[in-house]
Amino acid sequence: MNNITIGQYIPGDSWLHKVDPRIKLFSLIILMVGTFLIPISAEFTPLIAMGSIFVLVILLTWSTKIPMKKVINGLRPIVFLLTFTFFIQLFYVRQGQLLASYELYLSVSSIAGIILFIVFYNFTKKYIKTRILYFFFAAFMVFFIQAMLPYIPLYAYQLDIYDEGLLRAGFIFIRITNIIIMTSLLTFTTMTTDLNYGIESLLKPFKIVKVPVDLIAMMLSLTLRYIPTLLGETEKIMKAQASRGVDFKESKFKDKVIQIISLLIPIFVISFKRSEDLGNAMEVRGYVIGQKRTRIDAYKMGLKDFVTMFFALVILAALIYVRVLV
Amino acid sequence: MGIQFKDVSFAYRGLRQNYDAISHINLNIDKEGEFIAIVGQTGSGKSTLVQHMNALLLPMSGVVTVFGQNLPPKKNEKINALRQRVGLVFQFPEYQLFEETIIKDIMFGPKNFKSTEAEALEKAKKAAAICGVPENLLEQSPFRISGGQMRRVAVAGILAMEPDILVLDEPTRGLDPKGRRDLMQIFQSIHEKQNKTIILISHDMDLVSEYAKRIIVLDQGKIVFDGKKEDLFEHPNFESFHLDLPTPLKILKELSKEAGITYQPKYDYPSLLAYLKEVNHE
Repeated sequence: MNNITIGQYIPGDSWLHKVDPRIKLFSLIILMVGTFLIPISAEFTPLIAMGSIFVLVILLTWSTKIPMKKVINGLRPIVFLLTFTFFIQLFYVRQGQLLASYELYLSVSSIAGIILFIVFYNFTKKYIKTRILYFFFAAFMVFFIQAMLPYIPLYAYQLDIYDEGLLRAGFIFIRITNIIIMTSLLTFTTMTTDLNYGIESLLKPFKIVKVPVDLIAMMLSLTLRYIPTLLGETEKIMKAQASRGVDFKESKFKDKVIQIISLLIPIFVISFKRSEDLGNAMEVRGYVIGQKRTRIDAYKMGLKDFVTMFFALVILAALIYVRVLV
Repeated sequence: MGIQFKDVSFAYRGLRQNYDAISHINLNIDKEGEFIAIVGQTGSGKSTLVQHMNALLLPMSGVVTVFGQNLPPKKNEKINALRQRVGLVFQFPEYQLFEETIIKDIMFGPKNFKSTEAEALEKAKKAAAICGVPENLLEQSPFRISGGQMRRVAVAGILAMEPDILVLDEPTRGLDPKGRRDLMQIFQSIHEKQNKTIILISHDMDLVSEYAKRIIVLDQGKIVFDGKKEDLFEHPNFESFHLDLPTPLKILKELSKEAGITYQPKYDYPSLLAYLKEVNHE
């Protein structure tokens, strides 16, 4: 229950924690655009550009003193996507120089081998600490087994690895990793209230076309605010139902359905009750939809904010230059 | 038998450090005949302590023994059955109701512990009667009754499991004085008629002094007092426990100071009244 990393702010007092949320959000967007601008090619400059962005991201993480492990854990939800894109690129790009060619067999023996390996993987993954690396290794093994066990073949195909394919795969891999680390840095160093303020300010231009920006911002902030509360309530209800004999670990599937209902209905009831109370509390304190509101915190931009934005813009300019040049 | 704590500690995991909730707890609770109140300030670890009693939380160090089973359990050892023997009623238990009808909700517990439909129904009806849930309500939705009745239904849901020890985490919180007294009477009668051990967390010293026999005082995760209630309120260092005196004792202390009535501890209003009448006659 406690390892959900949505809007997981880590308190700290690094410079990145103190940068104005608007600037932070804006710089993040700039850096992301910049990262996507780098052309995928084997030439020297794009490789250097992508590499330096990666180094920059690592340096940024280091400078905020956020444990590297936390940042890497943020990659966990997309490990599957990363692996998938990596292999797709490897298989389908057929340009450049042929590096290696393998005969892969989908055979009775290799299918049996893969099943055995997956069982083995599921049993051993508990004991492996670097689970992300282990997952990559597992994905690699699936193909390796197909190459090694050709007995009683059903279907055979060719895996040709071209240098272009390997390059693209690696490039896209690093690109996605960069972007995820950057975004998690933002959420790690910015409180949800600040983040919400940043989003609200950046969306302000849309007010001209009658988009209810402050309403969206309010909804967003309330949603973010209530995630931990509802998680806490869920934990309480889980414990209460566990006291009545619900055990998610020790029971059969048939019983699990009713047990999940015993969790869902109370949470549903509680969230309605909570939002009703909240609505009343807001109205009592004078909240009227669409009315102009003042804030308790005034955000003032200082020197470090301008320096941050300046550097972000310089990086963007440099990357545009690389794009145009190549 | 019953529940034993041996040097038990538990800490909640924070981001950078752990927060100690209870530390080095040693405790012995009999299976029968005890009425224990656990008191202490907010954040002193009361709820954490009672959640160890039915294995919702497992000790980080030390051993809790519940009806002969050691916790933390060995690998692959099942602990769910313990929760039938130690029934825990949480704060605001009315939020745990979810079934279509009240009787079905009360039956949920016994059915989880391998009772047949007929047995569960019988147990549920019995528990509902003990808790004073009117029979004509049983087929109604649990969301259409008053808050006080919801609380009784929720308590009945735990009682229907027929636990040997009943643990109550602030059962009277948010109820009016009459509802509070009615609910406490239910627990008192269970204690007296079935001789079951009852463990009660409460901030209401009046209720504690009226019903409990033994009181455990927690302060910052440590047990600072464990003994008879008579000893607690006469304790020379009572101030250091940050507790309030129960109202009858306060009245008597005031009267002995102002009107010269001999101080004699009385723990509830009826006995206080009887004593004052007696004094008056002399």
